[in-house]
Amino acid sequence: MLVVALVVGFGLSWYALSDGRLFGAIEIGPWSAWRDVGMPAPDPYTRAFIARSGALELGASEGIQFIATTDSDNRRLDRACRYRIDGSTPAARFWTLVPVAPDDARPITREGGPTDFHSARLSRAGDGSVELYVSKTLAPQNWLEITGDGAFDLVLTLYDTSSLSGVGAVVAALPSIIREACA
Amino acid sequence: MIRTLLWLLAGVVLGGIIHIAVILSLPALSATSAWDHVAAAGGTGPGPTVLAATTSAQPNPLRLDPELAYAVCRIDLRTGPASVTGTLPQAFWSVAVYNRAGTVVYSTTNRDGIGTALDLGIFNPGQTRLLAEQKLDIAEGLLIVEAKEDDLFVVVRLAPPHPEMRARYEKALAGLKCGTIAT
Repeated sequence: MLVVALVVGFGLSWYALSDGRLFGAIEIGPWSAWRDVGMPAPDPYTRAFIARSGALELGASEGIQFIATTDSDNRRLDRACRYRIDGSTPAARFWTLVPVAPDDARPITREGGPTDFHSARLSRAGDGSVELYVSKTLAPQNWLEITGDGAFDLVLTLYDTSSLSGVGAVVAALPSIIREACA
Repeated sequence: MIRTLLWLLAGVVLGGIIHIAVILSLPALSATSAWDHVAAAGGTGPGPTVLAATTSAQPNPLRLDPELAYAVCRIDLRTGPASVTGTLPQAFWSVAVYNRAGTVVYSTTNRDGIGTALDLGIFNPGQTRLLAEQKLDIAEGLLIVEAKEDDLFVVVRLAPPHPEMRARYEKALAGLKCGTIAT
């Protein structure tokens, strides 16, 4: 009984706050965000998440941050692979996309090179959509060179966005993350 | 058989209690809150402290965006209402007030017609009452924020349009004034 209790108690807590995101999370394709993370009175799960992560969360009126740990086919993001990030983003003043290390959130881009994608500094197709590449090997269009081995996360931050204002509002679409080739 | 099932059920119930206890106690127990991370990054004084730019060379516990420049002011309302004032460049900037647990108490961006001048006053409930009774003398146009706690920190985010302009924008952040409103 005690074993069951301990496993259920701590296991569920860990799962709810790290990978599972059972509660209080918005999931759009591979992207997920905590809905109430920038609210003055978040629910207990979000509160525990804030305390555990220790990050400077964005206020609700400043923007929203999405994190992807997998590609659109639900495979863990791997630095050995080339990823195409494709599609349009919700209306926002601007957004940034940063590939980061899963453990300490440092950008994994090549030192001295650009650390991230900025929505104002991209080459775009005629309809405004963008095609981004994240890989160790040279890629066409907008390319960010990453280094190291192992898994990584993608952090997409939308600033000054109205896409989540109002209860029950949903983000129309976020770009998909497509794995192309692996070394 | 039934006895085993009952034991299992009791284990699950106890697990649920542990789970709730963990979730509710985490904010109080966490030693890695945003408050601690801000202090570790040098934000221990009234400030403003401009946080170092995020690069791939260092861990990023606060999960800062490499595109943005950040200034932090630590505030103690026990010594009187606090103010954050200054002029910022014509670019995206936002202000967020955090409490000790890392929850966003208040946030806004410069979208709402506040232009380039930041003029923020932070009051606890007692000071707000004095304000309502007009026993406090404040400047006109001050943006008034009420906070329940006394230990707070304010984060001003500023987005340079291009990384080359970062130094100039950080100087603008360093020129902010974080102080106390005389009572």
